[in-house]
Amino acid sequence: MIGYLARRVLSLIPVLLWITVISFGLMHLAPGKPTDATAAFNPKVSLEARQRMEKLYGLDQPVHVQYARWLTRIVRMDFGRSFLDDRPVLEKITERLPVTLAINVWSMALIFAIAIPLGVLAAVRPGGLFDRFTTVFVFIGYSAPSFWLALLGMAFFGVRLRWLPVSGLHALDYESFALWRQWADTAWHLILPVAMTAFVSLAGMSRYMRSSMVDILQQDYIRTARAKGVDEGRVLFHHGLRNALLPIITILGLSLPDLIGGSVIAETIFSIPGMGRLFYEAVMARDYPVVMALVTVGAFLTMLGNLLADVAYASADPRIRVGRSA
Amino acid sequence: MRDLLKNKFAVTGAIILLALAVVALGAPWIAPYDPLAVNLPEALLPPSSAHWLGTDPLGRDVLSRLIYGARISLTIGFIAVGIAVLVGTVVGSVAGFYGGWIDTALMRLVDTLLSIPSVFLLLAVIAIIGPSIQLIMAVIGLTGWMGVARLVRAEVLSLKEREFVLAARVLGASPLRLLRRHLLPNAMGPVLVSATLGVGGAILTESVLSYLGLGVQPPTPSWGNVLNEGRVALGVAWWLTLTPGLCILITVLAFNLLGEGIRERFLRR
Repeated sequence: MIGYLARRVLSLIPVLLWITVISFGLMHLAPGKPTDATAAFNPKVSLEARQRMEKLYGLDQPVHVQYARWLTRIVRMDFGRSFLDDRPVLEKITERLPVTLAINVWSMALIFAIAIPLGVLAAVRPGGLFDRFTTVFVFIGYSAPSFWLALLGMAFFGVRLRWLPVSGLHALDYESFALWRQWADTAWHLILPVAMTAFVSLAGMSRYMRSSMVDILQQDYIRTARAKGVDEGRVLFHHGLRNALLPIITILGLSLPDLIGGSVIAETIFSIPGMGRLFYEAVMARDYPVVMALVTVGAFLTMLGNLLADVAYASADPRIRVGRSA
Repeated sequence: MRDLLKNKFAVTGAIILLALAVVALGAPWIAPYDPLAVNLPEALLPPSSAHWLGTDPLGRDVLSRLIYGARISLTIGFIAVGIAVLVGTVVGSVAGFYGGWIDTALMRLVDTLLSIPSVFLLLAVIAIIGPSIQLIMAVIGLTGWMGVARLVRAEVLSLKEREFVLAARVLGASPLRLLRRHLLPNAMGPVLVSATLGVGGAILTESVLSYLGLGVQPPTPSWGNVLNEGRVALGVAWWLTLTPGLCILITVLAFNLLGEGIRERFLRR
């Protein structure tokens, strides 16, 4: 296990390097000096701030020197200061991170709560009525633009019926609420965004669950269990589901970029002050230090998620860590 | 081909796509109005016999804009996927064919691009350079080639030690000829499936970008920016949001059905 873990972590190093190269490269896509664009698009940047930026990034130096400097700074978790308000980028990100994490964790819970039963039920009788019904649902769900569904939800539940709030994270008089009401209020505001981000992966996940379960149910040990007279519910859930869930761990890790990317769209639509919206605002204002930091952090979080998923898989399934090398 | 015609998924998808292609190509003859003609006194009309799908906040006919939008959205979908298939095939075959450190470096690049949320890259690059249709197609293509590269590499790896390839090599075939004549044709099935599904994905991506204001720029209509223009009137004119979304849904569905149909055909071979 330790050997597997070491190999897996070592293989991440080149990926990390590529990530920093790409993030760094973003800043140099624009013609001229990065600070020119910022100053042109945002008159709030003072000359002094601009000179500090240029010195900080060593923009008079050759590109590889600039990259090396930037790299040594981000290794120490120093992402510089925002062009917009001169606050440390790391501080801006960490204050926005909890909301985004909350949305993603809840939507993941929702995905599991719906996709697993759906996949299992469809797999019990492949080609049966329920299976065909969910196939159609999955195809449509897979093809629908989730932001469009979010807008329709907003128009219907928010504007027409007035059941759900359409934007923001808190009600106006949030500060005056008791603690439990503050929580309830926040949860209330998160219903539509969570539903939207969950929807993105829901169709795919229930499909994977179905095919994984169908595979497992054809295994010899399932036939053995049935032949022994184990009752069907136990065969499905104890022998079947437990094994069918294994590959899902990996799929979950792979769907992380979509979840993080989805929060950019959801938070922008619902005006939620999370990491995704921070990214959108930074991109629109060409706030390069924030953009570069978020691309790096977003990719890093995804990689970490994938690593955790692989480790979880390997600890659950010995064939992985013995069999193939990472 | 005959198997494909028996597949309900593939046939449904193909028929929808054929109809869409006719609409997109025949836009100037089919569209009842000029998609760019602003007519402020007739802004935000609900669907009626004169304007089947109503009018937008500038009084333009929504049906005409959606018909012309089909051209833009389909073009972006096809060209973006074309770029992705080209880059993916080149990277995948070079990595698989030469192996060694070249393979390792290229595959780590693939891992990297897969771990950066593509929305981040798309938004950042387009916002920094400035949105244009050409850039959108290029960036969607350049963030979407990794799947194809993996497919092609796997296929090349599994075939390059086989006898028929060795035989061709002994006969003095150049690497390029080996790839073109012997290795790549075998990888085309899975690549075709992933390309078909990819066109739907690219159209979805374009709609998100246009909705966020970083896609096709007005007044040129694309399904995404028709949606975006309806946003201001979401409360009063919901049909402006409903119809472009339905266009996207139906088109993406058609590509997914066709792709899935082709996949089944290859799996059951």
